[in-house]
Amino acid sequence: MSVAELEAREVGLEGPSSGLWSEAWRRLRHNPSAIVGFVMVGTFVFVALFAPLIATHDPLEQDLSLLNGGCCPGPSAEHWFGVDALGRDLFSRVVYGARYSLLIGVVSVAVGLSIGLLIGAIAGYAGGWVDSLLMRLMDIMLSIPGLLLAIGIVAALGPGLVQIMIAVGVTQIPIFARLLRGSILATKETDYILAARSVGIRGRVILSSHVIPNSISPVIVQGTLALATAIIDVAGLGFLGLGPQDPSTPEWGTMLTDTTRYLQTAPFLALIPGAAIVISVLGFNLIGDGLREALDPRFRGRA
Amino acid sequence: MLKFIVRRLLLLVPILIGLSFLVFIWIRALPGGPAEALLGERATPEAIAKIERDYGLNKPITVQYWDYVKTTATGDLGTSVTTRRAVTDELKQRFPATIELAIAAMLFSLLGIPLGFFAAKHYGKAIDSASLFVSLLGVSVPIFFLAILLKYVFAVQLGWLPTTGRVDARIDFDHPTNFYLLDSLWTGDFSIFWDCVKHLILPAIALGSIPLAIIARITRAAVLDVQNEDYVRVARAKGLSPREVDSRHVLRNALLPIITIIGLQTGLLLSGAVLTETVFAWPGIGTWLVDAIRSRNFPVLQGGILFVSVIFVLVNLAVDVTYAVVNPKIRVS
Amino acid sequence: MRGIALKAILALAACAVLVVTLGNSSGSKASSTLIFAGAADPTYLDPALASDGETFRVTEQMYEGLVALKPGTTKVIPKLALKWKSANRGKTWTFWLRHGVKFHDGTPFNAAAVCANFNRWYNWSGAFQDPSATFYYQAIYGGFKHNEVSGLQPPLYRSCAAKGQYKAIVKLRKASGTFFPSLVIAPFSMQSPTAMRKYGADQGELRNGTFRATGSYAFEHPTGTGPFKFKSWTIGQKVEIVRNDKYWGQKAKLSRVIIQPISDSTARLQALQNHDVNAYDLAAPQDIPTLSGNSSLKVIKRPAFNVAYVTIHQGSGPMKELKVRQAVAYGLNRKGVVNQFYYGTGKVAQEFMPPSLYGYAKKVQTYAYNPTKAKQLLNSSSCHVPCHIDFWYPTAVSRPYMPDPVRNFQGFQASLENSGFSVTPHSAPWRPTYVAKVNEGSAGDLNLIGWTGDYADPDNFVGTFFNQTTANAQFGFSNASINSLLLKAKNEANFAKRVALYQKLNQQLMKYLPGVPYAHATPALGAEKRVHNLIATPVGGVWFQYATVG
Repeated sequence: MSVAELEAREVGLEGPSSGLWSEAWRRLRHNPSAIVGFVMVGTFVFVALFAPLIATHDPLEQDLSLLNGGCCPGPSAEHWFGVDALGRDLFSRVVYGARYSLLIGVVSVAVGLSIGLLIGAIAGYAGGWVDSLLMRLMDIMLSIPGLLLAIGIVAALGPGLVQIMIAVGVTQIPIFARLLRGSILATKETDYILAARSVGIRGRVILSSHVIPNSISPVIVQGTLALATAIIDVAGLGFLGLGPQDPSTPEWGTMLTDTTRYLQTAPFLALIPGAAIVISVLGFNLIGDGLREALDPRFRGRA
Repeated sequence: MLKFIVRRLLLLVPILIGLSFLVFIWIRALPGGPAEALLGERATPEAIAKIERDYGLNKPITVQYWDYVKTTATGDLGTSVTTRRAVTDELKQRFPATIELAIAAMLFSLLGIPLGFFAAKHYGKAIDSASLFVSLLGVSVPIFFLAILLKYVFAVQLGWLPTTGRVDARIDFDHPTNFYLLDSLWTGDFSIFWDCVKHLILPAIALGSIPLAIIARITRAAVLDVQNEDYVRVARAKGLSPREVDSRHVLRNALLPIITIIGLQTGLLLSGAVLTETVFAWPGIGTWLVDAIRSRNFPVLQGGILFVSVIFVLVNLAVDVTYAVVNPKIRVS
Repeated sequence: MRGIALKAILALAACAVLVVTLGNSSGSKASSTLIFAGAADPTYLDPALASDGETFRVTEQMYEGLVALKPGTTKVIPKLALKWKSANRGKTWTFWLRHGVKFHDGTPFNAAAVCANFNRWYNWSGAFQDPSATFYYQAIYGGFKHNEVSGLQPPLYRSCAAKGQYKAIVKLRKASGTFFPSLVIAPFSMQSPTAMRKYGADQGELRNGTFRATGSYAFEHPTGTGPFKFKSWTIGQKVEIVRNDKYWGQKAKLSRVIIQPISDSTARLQALQNHDVNAYDLAAPQDIPTLSGNSSLKVIKRPAFNVAYVTIHQGSGPMKELKVRQAVAYGLNRKGVVNQFYYGTGKVAQEFMPPSLYGYAKKVQTYAYNPTKAKQLLNSSSCHVPCHIDFWYPTAVSRPYMPDPVRNFQGFQASLENSGFSVTPHSAPWRPTYVAKVNEGSAGDLNLIGWTGDYADPDNFVGTFFNQTTANAQFGFSNASINSLLLKAKNEANFAKRVALYQKLNQQLMKYLPGVPYAHATPALGAEKRVHNLIATPVGGVWFQYATVG
């Protein structure tokens, strides 16, 4: 029994009703932090989608003549965020970096979520030895601290962008698995499910019309938070040098690797991509947090 | 109660077996062997073959696994490829450094409890939203970026604190336990102790900031929950002063989820240690493992990751048991 | 009257105490301690058992050999031996030793001690015969008295005799050109026989296939004759050495040197910027402008001792023809690449070994970038323009001689395409694939690779590249003239003759073009401006003997 399962249990206790969703949405709209989060994420996604139109230069183009005075010229009218150690425009690289981060976040979470939910659903619904076996597997995966597990996977697969996405996705599988399983277990025991069963409604119907809708809310919350974690974990892996091997890739974490040595002479090289990571991750966290509060039935009647 | 503990301990066995197998397979899956890493351009086919022979890398996999299990069970975790020292010896030296850092970070993160409490008391007001925002900010900053920022501001720019290591190189003192704070206190020389503390401050803050943010949030949530419980309302109705209500009822009951969360931070601390240690050149397990990956130091990776994971499992077990002891509801399931 | 005098004396005394205590605060004033950051911890402080630069950095301060390199150069000068003579066609070497030298433990240094060291190496058995234990001994001397492992060469060494206190005669089984130059390197330093015996220097075992020393000599009692002696080694943290006040030569100015391992190069840089250390080694090339631009820091450059080159594989394909190889040489814009991608730390290489090493030919055929000439050569060969070739380069790596392989490749690709070639790029990660492919000759027609010298002898460069086995495998050629010159030079005992042979070899190599050397890089140290006379040696070591701080 873990805290996650406890939480899942508590959230899943209420029966599904359309009122839950509309009320949650209403609460979300009035939550100032969540609104800020939406704005941040909205900007992030917008920049990622329209990068070619927003960027002022080609992110890969090097102009080594700008570096004649050593590294590196700071923000100027021509280069809004300055220029990096190979003469590339930092603003454009940060803008294109949003694409990589969005892609990485979405793919990793998709991997973790789909596989994790599948495992969790099977375990929760089948019960018995299948449940035990799957949960032992999840325990083993969870027994290696997150980053180490991701490092291990990347080391085995070799460094690269796809590999870190897979690695980070895999580290999230156990979390989703346990979440869904906990939710299913909690729902299975409630009175109205027992009632539905005793009336003779088939298992599959119960699953689709009761269990799953109930479990969705913690999954949504977790999914948003997982996006935030994914972006940070990938940045960490990139920082350790395990990310995209072509150093011209404008991925924010990799951009941070080689710039820490210029902290005294060109701090903006590290500070700006770092700030970009913080803003996008913060946005997702604010939304996830707002969702959690909005969907939590305990707060009903307190708004 | 005892049955619960025994049951959990028994569950440990398949987990540890599975873990050792996972680590073993993983090592073998790493591209390239230690030879190319060590020898660089000097990696002639003969030299590579020799290293593979020495490490038994060309025996059948089942034989290798059995050798591995046999030697590990006797406590021999192998010999580091780069330093030629026993992995166990290096572990004994590195582990206290990481533990010291983790404990310092944990202590720092406990500041989250009063912060969260304060925020809960001012629920709904601007301070509450601000503190919520700040704690979310804390979770959103990558650890290594925070470490770099702290280093830049306090060490490079202001020069108040040192940038690397655990103690000034000029200082000599015996450290039998390798816990520098303890060992330096034992010498009776306060300036040495103070130097060790100065080196610990920035890494501890960097590592502990995320747990601090999480603990603050959970504390706030737990306090808010408890505050609305019936028994608290009764206590207030009875006429107890707010301070007495808080200390006797609110805090005590809110402590439960807080304690659980603190225990769950171990994993975060261990992962975060890898990144923090790299930035501060802290000679602990984190830098040890990162160097080992870069140099394909198989024995270190195998022994180190296995050890860290075992510790992690044991800590999780301790947390679960504590939680069960404190909350009788759980044991029944 | 007396009262005032007393008060005055007390006041003066108080001032004196104040001045003394303030003066003792470290850091701000001139210091007699130097803190140096290397990249890794030493393995053993017994250099005979080590092969890594970090160990040698420390042991070179505590131990000395019979001869040494003049600091900062590759010129051999007397050290513990004042004079030497070879006879019997290089099979007998007589050394006249310096008088009045003592090891740090008081044992006198004499001919008996010299022979004790030579015989120790020769008599190694068991675990010590593993290459992981005694790499350099085996590289120079081959085998031991009783070779217990197959694959060991027959031993080069025959015997050592002490004639009186100060004359040692070493006999070899055959002539060798590498014996004498190798005496400068750390593994062949003279160590105290008394201390070695007392602390179990010859105790070791094989554990998991690797050698481990088990005596305490290599960890706690290293004993040499050098200007510094051992104080302490906290494994993984620091090594501390102190001035040898009984040193026979110029005593060190520093009273204490602390060497700390910091494995991350950025962390080393920041430790220096924060004045946690006084100097550090292996500065990343990108940090050189940062160091130069900082008003309290400076860069100390080493003479270059490495070479980056383009392998030309002649096994199959167009490279068999000399004209095509010449076209490659004219088609590589080496000057452009070195200027742009070496951050000011590189120079164009014209030969396969660095200019500071003896044997470097004064004049060789050079190939300045000339696309027109390249095209002409191609069209008069069997591979007309465009000549299709495969060019390999490594990823995920930065080497001291080649900090930025990807960009080097891109620069070369562009210039070759300008010169009538059509280049198909291939890449592989340095580990595990690239080096193996280069060594076995399956990395295309051209590939990027290089070498950092282990010790100051041409055989370590051109001998390593072009010995028969490697010439065949990596370069795909077999040339009798080059091969015989190489062997002759390796075995020539007369130094002057050897130098001439290597010069001739280098001229032949630059005509035959088995590859095209393109850069020598100068790895640098970073230091505080107030550190003076810190000398960096080409082979990667550092001399603290003359250094001062402040």
